Amino acid sequence: LGLSAQITVTGLVTDDSNEPIPGVSVLEKGTMNGTITQTDGTFSLQVPEDAILIFSFVGFVPQEIPVDNRSVINVVLTESITGLDEVVVVGYGVQKKKLVTGATLQVDGENLQKRNTISALQALQGQTAGVQITSTSGQPGEELKVIVRGLGTIGDAGPLYIVDGVQTSDISYLNNADIESIDVLKDAASAAIYGSQAANGVVLITTKSGQTGKTQITFDSYYGIQNVARKVDLLNAREYAVIMNEAAINSGKAPYFTADDIDNLGNSGWADTDWMDQMFYDNAVTQNYTLSFSGGNNASTYSTSLSYTGQEGIVGGPDVSDYNRYSFRINSEHKLFDGMITLGQHLTFAYIEKNGIKVGNQYNNSLRSAFNTSPFLPVYNDNGEFLNNTKNAGEMYNGAEWVPWYEGESNPYASMIYNNMSDDNNQKLLGDIYLRVSPIEGLTFETKYGLDYYTIEERSFIPEYELSVYDFREHDQASQRLEKGVAWTWTNILTYDFDLNDHDFTVMAGMEAYQYKGTWMHTRNTDLLPTGLDYAYIDNTTNTDLARLTFEGAPNDESMLLSYFGRVSYNFGEKYLLNATFRADGSSRFAENNRWGYFPSVSGGWVLSSEPFMEFTDDIIDFFKLRVSWGQVGNQNIDPWQYLAPVQVANTNYYFGSDDFDAAGNTPGAYPSRLANEDLKWETSEQLNIGFDARFMKSRLGVNFDLYQKDTKDWLLQAPILATAGAEGPFINGGDVRNKGVEIAVSWNDQIGDFRYFISANYSYNDNEVTEVPTSDGIVHGLTNMLYDNSLEFYHRAETGYPIGYFWGWQTDGIFQNEQEVLEHTSNGTVIQPDAMPGDLRYVDQNGDGILNDQDKVMVGDPNPDAVFGFNVGFEYKNFDFTVAANGVYGNQIVQSYRNHANGFANYTTEILERWHGEGTSNTIPRVTETNINYLFSDIFVKDGDFLRISDITLGYDFADLINKSFISQLRLYGSVQNAFTFTKYNGMDPEVGYGVEDGSSGIDLGYYPRPRTFLLGLNVKF
Amino acid sequence: SDDFLDSKPVTTLTDANFYQTLEDAELAIVGCYDGVQAINQEGVAFPVASEVFSDNCFGGTGNNDGYGYQLLDEFDLQRSPSDQNLFEENWINYYEAIYRVNMLLTKMDQIDWEGDTATMHSIEAEARFLRAFCYFDMVRLWEKVPLVTVPTEENVPQNEPDEIYAQITNDLLIAIEKGKETVEAGRVNKWAAKSLLGRVFLFYTGYYNKSDLVGLVSASEALAHLEDVIASGNYGLVEEFKNLWPAASATPDPENNTLISTYAGKDNQETIFAIKHNITSNYDGDTDGNHWLVMLGLREQAFSPYGRGWGACPVDPNLYNAFEEGDERKTASIIAIDEEGLDFDNSGQREYTGYANKKYIPLALPDGSDMAVQNGGFNFMIGQYQDYVCIRYADVLLMAAELGSPNAQDYMDQVRERAGLDPKPATKANILEERRFEFAFEGIRYWDLLRQGVETAANTIARSTTVLNGGVEAQKVIDPQNIIDTRGLQMIPQNQISLSDNVLKQNDGWN
Repeated sequence: LGLSAQITVTGLVTDDSNEPIPGVSVLEKGTMNGTITQTDGTFSLQVPEDAILIFSFVGFVPQEIPVDNRSVINVVLTESITGLDEVVVVGYGVQKKKLVTGATLQVDGENLQKRNTISALQALQGQTAGVQITSTSGQPGEELKVIVRGLGTIGDAGPLYIVDGVQTSDISYLNNADIESIDVLKDAASAAIYGSQAANGVVLITTKSGQTGKTQITFDSYYGIQNVARKVDLLNAREYAVIMNEAAINSGKAPYFTADDIDNLGNSGWADTDWMDQMFYDNAVTQNYTLSFSGGNNASTYSTSLSYTGQEGIVGGPDVSDYNRYSFRINSEHKLFDGMITLGQHLTFAYIEKNGIKVGNQYNNSLRSAFNTSPFLPVYNDNGEFLNNTKNAGEMYNGAEWVPWYEGESNPYASMIYNNMSDDNNQKLLGDIYLRVSPIEGLTFETKYGLDYYTIEERSFIPEYELSVYDFREHDQASQRLEKGVAWTWTNILTYDFDLNDHDFTVMAGMEAYQYKGTWMHTRNTDLLPTGLDYAYIDNTTNTDLARLTFEGAPNDESMLLSYFGRVSYNFGEKYLLNATFRADGSSRFAENNRWGYFPSVSGGWVLSSEPFMEFTDDIIDFFKLRVSWGQVGNQNIDPWQYLAPVQVANTNYYFGSDDFDAAGNTPGAYPSRLANEDLKWETSEQLNIGFDARFMKSRLGVNFDLYQKDTKDWLLQAPILATAGAEGPFINGGDVRNKGVEIAVSWNDQIGDFRYFISANYSYNDNEVTEVPTSDGIVHGLTNMLYDNSLEFYHRAETGYPIGYFWGWQTDGIFQNEQEVLEHTSNGTVIQPDAMPGDLRYVDQNGDGILNDQDKVMVGDPNPDAVFGFNVGFEYKNFDFTVAANGVYGNQIVQSYRNHANGFANYTTEILERWHGEGTSNTIPRVTETNINYLFSDIFVKDGDFLRISDITLGYDFADLINKSFISQLRLYGSVQNAFTFTKYNGMDPEVGYGVEDGSSGIDLGYYPRPRTFLLGLNVKF
Repeated sequence: SDDFLDSKPVTTLTDANFYQTLEDAELAIVGCYDGVQAINQEGVAFPVASEVFSDNCFGGTGNNDGYGYQLLDEFDLQRSPSDQNLFEENWINYYEAIYRVNMLLTKMDQIDWEGDTATMHSIEAEARFLRAFCYFDMVRLWEKVPLVTVPTEENVPQNEPDEIYAQITNDLLIAIEKGKETVEAGRVNKWAAKSLLGRVFLFYTGYYNKSDLVGLVSASEALAHLEDVIASGNYGLVEEFKNLWPAASATPDPENNTLISTYAGKDNQETIFAIKHNITSNYDGDTDGNHWLVMLGLREQAFSPYGRGWGACPVDPNLYNAFEEGDERKTASIIAIDEEGLDFDNSGQREYTGYANKKYIPLALPDGSDMAVQNGGFNFMIGQYQDYVCIRYADVLLMAAELGSPNAQDYMDQVRERAGLDPKPATKANILEERRFEFAFEGIRYWDLLRQGVETAANTIARSTTVLNGGVEAQKVIDPQNIIDTRGLQMIPQNQISLSDNVLKQNDGWN
């Protein structure tokens, strides 16, 4: 141990204008020894004579100064004007953040990685004003719904993703640790350079690259266990028996059970199964390991990584619900001929295994069936096999032959297991090679060839089984599916930077060509020998009956785009800013005469804080920029050839023969299956944005504010067509929607001695209103049969004057407590609900005509939140770090329908125990009956979806200083709780219900796979 | 250049290159047959619905099922208020079939027939027959439906029944003129068109109390067409009544786990027009199977040769008891569960009566397995293969008799003799009575009642009796007033009314 002599160092810390700065941290490098400057900016500290001092303060560039045996060290810190000198990614280029005139936001990769999510989009939640990110299911690997500034269409409303300049439809293959930053282009002026595909916003992802002279090895990992955060309680056997009795009596039947029966349910031969417990899997694992290397010299830089990510599902467990991703990435850049030529590449490869249970509509939702199965049904028979609920199937349970209580139900757990045996994987390779030439100062030509290649392999097995008369399979089945596709993008950009006095210009012109092609094949056959998932290959199937054999294959619909675009960026003294862009897109999806779309934008900015007349505010306002932008962007998200009428040959057979069974004897036929629309053209979104970016109080306070109005016109919409047309409706252009909103992001960073802390919060308000719908009744109707069997329409996808997907039903006004109230519920003397009984819902006769019908249905809920918000709070103290992240929404409603009301024997949640069962017992939950009489769609299905979720709490400690090995710069151990608390009045398992039954529908909880609560431990090591 | 953006589908044809050749025309007409096959595949199939409406059967189905079939049986929306779209799939499928016909008919001129006028005429006749067939179902179910004869996307209002009947009649007259004389299995010919015209005539003139068919066809002309069918010699009665029906003509052979059958076969000499089926339905879009047969199977239990199904249409004992002594059609048409000694467990059955139909029911092998599945059907629900015989020769005979043929007595005698019965005078009342027994469960009875007037139909169908719901006695009431209020018509799918912005008007009694 070499002991150096200790000396006392004193000094003064000032800023550029010679003002002393109090509170600056002065730290001896590699130790805990340090102090802070006094109010007069001075400090004093005992250190070894060869120590290095680190001076740091929020809003200033930190400095390292060797003591070199000096006793007085005065330091001038320069303001970093945090962020403003940073560059942000804009379309086909970068721009100084200070000069940006559009509404964009940037989240850096570190903030994503800290969230320990398997998906970058999920990590973005709560960090992005104006971008609503919602889980469509809590199942591992399920997609997230990303809506930028409100729903602009009832078609595909997802944004365009561009990774390192290459467009792709899905970024779930990316590991958070590989992301340098994500930029979201929200307004039309920013997005218009992406023209045709940017109507729903653009998300630009930059992956990490190496830096000259800095070699770094990092290892990041976490391991966590997940459990369901909140379960819904279903009735147990006793409660169920009581409710069934009451429903029978209320439906004019004799009760099923005597009081004795109910007391002796334990000996009845029936079970008392808690199906929710059965469906959930405890302590499902989530984990991630990433090893990265980066570095470089003056000629070349590189960044590479290898990672594994795994997440098990909390419903059913890893056998049926599981996600594993293996990925590697290598990015490099090389300078040739003294930097005149730059050659670089990005490449990420991911191998993803993903199995999942059904999380779709009421007939394709594994969890939902658990809600509807009586507790009487056991999981297993006496042999430990799944019990077959078919009458007289000879099943033994508790030593006696099983007699079904209700034959219509079947073991939901077994059904989930039987029907979800699969071995699926997909691979994705996304990358590009680029060449940049800078022959003269300011002039750059870049050509880039990008590739998005994927393959999907699916293999599944369903055994022969019988769980009930309805849920059975007479032949085991193997299915194999293969798909591959490749999209390439070729981009050429010429950029010229020049200035004339203080007038700076950047002119960019470019062209791009894009093509996607793919194919798929699928075969399915039955009667395996041997049988089982391991043997589920077509070679092992023996069936030769055509009806049970499927073989199909086709190209995926190809898609081509050809684009020309340009941008002029101008600024005068970095004070007056102007950007204009223009893009022309030709798309193969439209008929020749409507092929080309043109998308202009213009935006301007004024850096007020640079004006002399604003000088007096310099102490408070560091930076203030006003922005205004306008632009048009497009959407071409439809299948190709909608301008043609296809003639369908497949499945159009007729049998003219006289044999009973003649699988090969059908005669093929044909018919035009869809009407054509040759006039189909681009959907257009036009947006006006006004905002400002500001920094106050030595940049400790940052504020971004935006106001926008976005009009989406000429939706690409499959016409809701009358049956009399006789064919599928064509896609048409029709329907307008207006989104108006406000976004505010505020951040505060400060430091008190060793204690650095930050608070950031964002809030966005959006109002969504459909302004025109081109159908005869001004409505694009929603689907029926969605909430339970044969349920009627309960939402309108679009209707003039209402938000997209609003809930449409009767308004209730409590419950009839007695006969008298039924008779008193009148309009103009007519009893409105003459057939109602005490305990039934009282509906509002909106138009007062004394009849309850569709004319009385009104908006009873809106699935679109009024506001989306999030905040992050954190501090660092010495080697500790602590953060809390939260996000939430308010003003939206959820339709909850767990129960199939068409089935009198379906189980209920325990909410039903609060039902009406006599005068005064309830004014909210109606009496139970065996019919759906009280469950015609009304506001009793509708619940408020407001929530605030504490999505992440992390506490970390960096041991690097304790170890004191110079090659380890970080050794941080941390613990996190994800989805720690959710504050909500919603009584479902999870209020974040992104599920909708179709595009243009959302907020529908049919038995939603909830997001887990996760406890995890992580390690970050940096060399 | 723009060429880069050129793209065309390679796995589907487009209308730009279709309807050009004889081969296309053949594909297109098969597409029309396929469309007509689809009308009964979803929703409530016409033959099943017709029996539920009638006095032959109740609604039945599972004791815990929804009450859609009771709604139909009792003409009462309140029985299942949310079932306002019970017929929507049918409505859509009828118009899809009609659209295929309309498309083909509008393209007739652009097809290069290569001088083959006979084929051209036959295809037109088939297409027109199929369109008439669809509209005749529709006008009986819903009466005022939008009459679409060329493809259109317009919001077409409903037409008056006379306009629809005029279209049906015209189509059939052209089909009669241009249709083939030869009989080919499954194919429409002029004899089928003449037979259907007879049925249309009788229903229209009866229900609307008119003397002729919208001024286009007189009673004597209608009769002449039927007489032509009889005189053509192309058709005849199958010798034994039971051999018309797969289940009635099957005897289990447990030793070989097979059925010994005397079935006359599909397309036997008595079939004039049938919607044909095959075992080839699957869940990938092929719908050639008989999808409604499963509704009529015994509730979840098989007793070879009777297959399992969902237990719709339990037969009213009144019908069973009304057969004359010695009428062979009684046991060929009805399964009498106790009398046949079937150990049927009715605890899952709604409106159990002890009787079920035997004409249209899945078949089961002696080991209880489903016949269709054993022979390649996908499953017992969609894999059934029994054809729906819409018009058979016995009907032509009885229609001709009813229309006053000089041979009326002979025609009726032929039918009765085949049933093992002695002659009876060929009065109108006797003929209608005969039809009840001859055509039970063939989707005919209800319309025969309705054409005798709504009041007669209502009073004949009205019931107040006791049935077993899940083994428990329950009152079953069919209020005749409901049938009078609705005039025996059905509800137009509410979704289609909404879509039309109330251009479509709901039928009375269904609001």
